[in-house]
Amino acid sequence: MVRRRSGPGWAFPARAPWAPRLALYLLTLWGMLTLNFLLPRAMPGDPLLALMDPESDAYLADPGIRERILQYYGLDRPLWEQYLVYLGRLARGELGWSIALNTSVAGLLAEHLPWTLLLMVPSILLATLISVWAGAHAGWRRDTRVDRALLVAFLLLDTVPIFLLGILLLMVFGVYLGRFPLSGGQTPFASYASPWAQLADILRHLALPMATLTLGLAGRNFLLARNSMVTVLGMEFMQVARGKGLPEPTLKYRHGLRNAVLPLVTRFAMQMGAALTGMILIETLFAYPGMGRLMFTAVAARDYPVLEGGFLVAGVAVLLANALADLSYAWLDPRTREAPCPT
Amino acid sequence: MSYVEVAQVRSAVHRLHRRLGSARVSGIFWLGLGILALFGGLALAAPWIAPHDPRAFVGPPLAPPSPGHPLGTNDVGQDILSELIFGARISLGVGLLAGGLAVALATLVGAVAGYRGGTVDAVLMRWVDAMLVLPRLPLMIVVAAYVGTGLPVVILLIALLGWPAPARVIRAQALAIRRRAHIQSARLFGAGLGYIVRRHLVPELSPLIVAIFVGQAGRAVMLEAGLAFLGLGDPTAKSWGLMIRYALDSGGFFFTHRWVWWLLPPGLGLTLLLLGFALLGMGLEPWTHPLTRRHG
Repeated sequence: MVRRRSGPGWAFPARAPWAPRLALYLLTLWGMLTLNFLLPRAMPGDPLLALMDPESDAYLADPGIRERILQYYGLDRPLWEQYLVYLGRLARGELGWSIALNTSVAGLLAEHLPWTLLLMVPSILLATLISVWAGAHAGWRRDTRVDRALLVAFLLLDTVPIFLLGILLLMVFGVYLGRFPLSGGQTPFASYASPWAQLADILRHLALPMATLTLGLAGRNFLLARNSMVTVLGMEFMQVARGKGLPEPTLKYRHGLRNAVLPLVTRFAMQMGAALTGMILIETLFAYPGMGRLMFTAVAARDYPVLEGGFLVAGVAVLLANALADLSYAWLDPRTREAPCPT
Repeated sequence: MSYVEVAQVRSAVHRLHRRLGSARVSGIFWLGLGILALFGGLALAAPWIAPHDPRAFVGPPLAPPSPGHPLGTNDVGQDILSELIFGARISLGVGLLAGGLAVALATLVGAVAGYRGGTVDAVLMRWVDAMLVLPRLPLMIVVAAYVGTGLPVVILLIALLGWPAPARVIRAQALAIRRRAHIQSARLFGAGLGYIVRRHLVPELSPLIVAIFVGQAGRAVMLEAGLAFLGLGDPTAKSWGLMIRYALDSGGFFFTHRWVWWLLPPGLGLTLLLLGFALLGMGLEPWTHPLTRRHG
């Protein structure tokens, strides 16, 4: 029987052949686009609909103006036509117009995305390094005092809600010690002596949000890394390697860790969703000028086009992370390069 | 209850006992259960324990801790300790309801997909795969912004986005169980899909279902707190996450010690509650594992 590597969080069967996987990604993308299209039309609370509703305060009494607004937004046409227009606009990169900020959503996203990437990419990499290293160590020294201490520490990191972790770091390092700024991405209205000074300022603002996200994600990944290491260490080839009298570091890293990392790759890519969740909460807390913060302010302003654009970008990011994991899987595990092999 | 039903319940309980007894039940398990029981008791007994009505304006605003208000009062003069105790009801209630709903959906889809196999399985699993890559919080934000943030909406959202991952686990297990002799013979005797799912699959999957429920409930508590922190909580039912949001929203927050008695208690409550779920989940692991290893 083919044992499926499934578990909570395994998205795609890790070794499925290419074409169906690509089809699945495209199908998911289409699903997200359609959801994005249908939500505003199926849900109550749309500001535009309020203009058309005789019960609402915002009702436009003049039928001529109502007609023109409907026409302008294309709402007088049948649903399928609206759908085609929507897809066509997306294909041209038009994500709509922000109601609250009166600019194009695409422009807004482009402005905020670099900040989010600046926060997320280093955090994810650092968290992966920390959790894999600590997990491998704990797995290697299983059931010792070191293992227990690491388990308790990372379990706590995992269970503390990430915004509480952020608040604690903010209070200690920002407020009481005054080492780091409390909010924002850089000092407002500052003029810098050199690009280096600006970079230093940006990094100082980045420190606390990044530390929070890194610690939170490391807490999530540690147990996976440890369990993976424990599983690998119990395998026969490890016994053989040990029997050959290989030195301990070689055993631990070349034979143990290298194999333990494989199943983690897909697993960590799946954590992209968790990273996004953490990112939104952290950016909100630190008023960091990224996508999460943008979405938070859009919620308060009921700025639907921005919310939908943000959702779309987040969805595409998760899909890309999955595709990347698939590719790196083939790179890390030569066995998967040629044909899909049953385990 | 008819005699047959009593016998069914008894055999299910017996099975659970045997499984629980056969596995090494660790201290972790009891610690987690103890923490959850503590919060459960707190939530149930809230009206008798809480010193005040959490919604009543019982003191001056922003009072520091005093004998009358052990954790002080919030910005509108409500007793923070009472809010905290009643908040346990919301946080725990959302966790249990959303977790239960998610696990029910996961069991239904997973068991049917695993047992039926073939096209049904393929279609259901592709659906699950697609659901799994939806970015959860951004989608919840969009939907909650449209539909509103009543507690039922929040519970439903969390459950509807939570079931796909565990459905995969249950499917894998159902696939393994399906091949066993007694199921095969039940099928030969003409048992239908509903009968087999109800009488065989669900009872045999019960350890796994319990473990998944614990995990999902913890996730739900965490997500509800996150949504509330973003201001998307139900303002009429103040959970711990919403308490934290309100505490942060009160002006001048960073320059007083207020956060120690206003923000830290709900924060620690959440952490401890999540720790309880996590420990219980870890404690249940050896209980679900032998089954996986024997038939996986």
